[in-house]
Amino acid sequence: MPEKTEGRSVPALRLNERYEIIRANRFVNALFPLVMFLLIIVIFAPLTGGQFLSRNAIISILNQALIVGTVATGVAFIYTTGNLDISVGPIMAFAAIIGATVYNNTLSVPLMVASCIVVAVLLMLFNCTLSAIFNIKTITAAIVMTRIYGAINSKILGASTLRVDYTICRELDNGGFRYAAFFAFFIISFLVYHKTKIGRADRIIGGNRSNAVQTGLSPNRFLYASFLMAGIGVGLAAVFTITRSGTINQDTGTGMGTDVMLATVLGGMSIFGGAKSNSYSGIIGALTVTALNKGLLMVGVSTTVIQGIRGVIFILLVFLNSNSGREKILPSRQQF
Amino acid sequence: MMLKGKTLLDIRCMSKNFGVTIALDNVSFSVSYGEIRGLIGENGSGKSTIASIIAGIQPATTGEAFLRGEPWKPTTQLEAIAGGVGMIVQETGTIEDISVAENIFLGRYEPFKRGPVINRSKMNAEAQKVLDLIGVNFRASQPTHTLDMQQRKLLELAKVMYHKPDLLIIDETSTALAQDGRAILYRMMHQQVEKGKSVLLISHDLEEMMEHCDTLTILRDGHVIDNIPKEKYEPGDIKSKLVGREMQGSYYRTDHDGCSNDAALVADCITTIEDILCLSFRLYKGEILGIGGLSDCGMHTLGRALYGIDEVVDGEVRLPGKGNKVINNTMKAKSNGMGYVSKDRDTESLELNASIYANISSTGYQENRGIGPFISAKKELGYVMEQIENLLIKCVGPHQPTRFLSGGNKQKVVFGKWVAANSDILILDCPTRGVDIGVKASMYQLIYKMKQEGKSIIMISEELPELIGMSDRLLIMKDGKISGEFLRKDGFNEHELINYMI
Repeated sequence: MPEKTEGRSVPALRLNERYEIIRANRFVNALFPLVMFLLIIVIFAPLTGGQFLSRNAIISILNQALIVGTVATGVAFIYTTGNLDISVGPIMAFAAIIGATVYNNTLSVPLMVASCIVVAVLLMLFNCTLSAIFNIKTITAAIVMTRIYGAINSKILGASTLRVDYTICRELDNGGFRYAAFFAFFIISFLVYHKTKIGRADRIIGGNRSNAVQTGLSPNRFLYASFLMAGIGVGLAAVFTITRSGTINQDTGTGMGTDVMLATVLGGMSIFGGAKSNSYSGIIGALTVTALNKGLLMVGVSTTVIQGIRGVIFILLVFLNSNSGREKILPSRQQF
Repeated sequence: MMLKGKTLLDIRCMSKNFGVTIALDNVSFSVSYGEIRGLIGENGSGKSTIASIIAGIQPATTGEAFLRGEPWKPTTQLEAIAGGVGMIVQETGTIEDISVAENIFLGRYEPFKRGPVINRSKMNAEAQKVLDLIGVNFRASQPTHTLDMQQRKLLELAKVMYHKPDLLIIDETSTALAQDGRAILYRMMHQQVEKGKSVLLISHDLEEMMEHCDTLTILRDGHVIDNIPKEKYEPGDIKSKLVGREMQGSYYRTDHDGCSNDAALVADCITTIEDILCLSFRLYKGEILGIGGLSDCGMHTLGRALYGIDEVVDGEVRLPGKGNKVINNTMKAKSNGMGYVSKDRDTESLELNASIYANISSTGYQENRGIGPFISAKKELGYVMEQIENLLIKCVGPHQPTRFLSGGNKQKVVFGKWVAANSDILILDCPTRGVDIGVKASMYQLIYKMKQEGKSIIMISEELPELIGMSDRLLIMKDGKISGEFLRKDGFNEHELINYMI
């Protein structure tokens, strides 16, 4: 309370207190994701001899970031409630298989889009049901369902690649379909998240479930709404995956769950949910994580090592982003 | 006994700041051997901060402390307890998933280890000794999650007393205890003093402080205002020093206004899984219904059951004014105009990391809708600001995180949530726990104002004076049943009420 400082000498701050103040500053929180993104550019541009900033590299980064960002925007609703779901990769792949199959049989783009979204939404709602009705933790359900959906995808695809007529993909791309669809989804998500009770309630639930229940909010009802929004995002990402390359194979969606988590924390949001969550962190984070992947690949780092580097960054960011726990251990600190 | 009167703890020019907030400003005082020293002050005055510095929970920013004449600067609670200073913290400091004995010896299992294995029977036996010494009604081997809040506080007392500290710090503990629990606490305090040791007691209960403390140190806004010896205690003087202005002698209602004969809520032979067996009563419109008893009498469970938090396995809670709607979950309760303030404010009634705005607005998503499903920012801001202004919530602004508020202001935010929601029935479980007399007075005024507006209030409390001071009708509970019913118009007799409790 600043008014208490009037007319008094302020004792010097300790290092950890300075860190807490810097961390709590909203401008630092807002700038952090941008700094991370710029850092990636500054590091990889010279290391790749400028190739990192070539048109092809930038388009490749944007295309992949669009997919990760779409999923992250939807999944932000789930993270906000304090839940995690890492099965989005195989669900996206399965939705893409169904969408591509529908298109190959009907040659209808609207039907392809609709089938991708419906399938993704249904599978996400099924995951949600495991948690809401059967009381299985979302992360536990997601780990199991990742294996099951992955196995189903492998069974359907085998070693082959499912292809879609590439001309339709090019036409959709040239017409700016992907960007238009993404922005429409992003704006709707932003409004639902920040201007309706769904996003507000999600944050209260993620911050303190007991308080939310006593405030008359139904965690399960809002969890379903969150999985619905995530399902739409995953379904759209499946459409983008089809139109981007026209092919779906066993690698489709691999690593998407961790990419989305990494994008979220790189975007400055906590994956633990609660008050500081938002709907847009995943976008800038998606750019950063895809730029990081691309940069590392371009300088010749193997995909295995890339996984390790991403893991280290993820753990570091989660540590920095998490509460130190001192407040919980030291309740009297809250009483000053 | 030889040391009685000599200085045990000496605090010199101690300051503590949290960012730009100064919690302590140049505080000096000392505690003698064989003394019960009271630290008293409004919420946010710095009492808990100085106690936690002495107990090794956090460091001071500047200043010094001396224990037995030696510099005292513990860096952890373990170090402090080893050096002879033990503290019972204001909020619950026990871990649920382990046994009582494991909580008592938390982090100090070495004496019970045989190689990598802990000898639990030896540990339980050792823990039971201290529990027996204190005189509690639970066992060392019992899982901690089976204890109620009072028992957990007594467990914390046992945890500290096992180490026979020279200085026992008790931070706002008695408000979590009912009469029987308080009796245990006071007995331990006085035994401590009889042994020539000392107690530093922090409480908002002035009567309790005046009765038990040898000297009162009054803190306000991080400053020591005065040190008053027992022979100079004068309640009016202490109150005015606490708040920095003159306080009236009584802050309870003085009227005997009745209430409507229309029932607002009916509890019809309700039974819960634990604590309550076929309990029935009616709450009337415009009534303040007090519910009192010992902490394990079931009154807290009753409050939770009425609001739909705890399952009612038989019987029902219904609202006659709402077409006899049966309340069996919190969503129904809230949508039918009920509100609930938990005894455990920080863990159940607030999202501490969220702003004041987010907490208060959480009860008004539906009411503050503008076009379609979208929330109107203007309506919502009005909804929040009205409460901040009317309840005089001391804050930098509506977007200040709630965790930075003092206990009393946090409680105002919880009240604000339900006042803003225009709740017709409000269930308040220990609404003034841990808040200072200034905030208490404004809470009582608010409760009374709501009664006058025709709203119905159930006030569950372990403090008989506030139940007597505020209730139209008082139900005393014992063993999950109503043991007595008393009316304001007939006058409440404290001794009679206590007889129905025990």
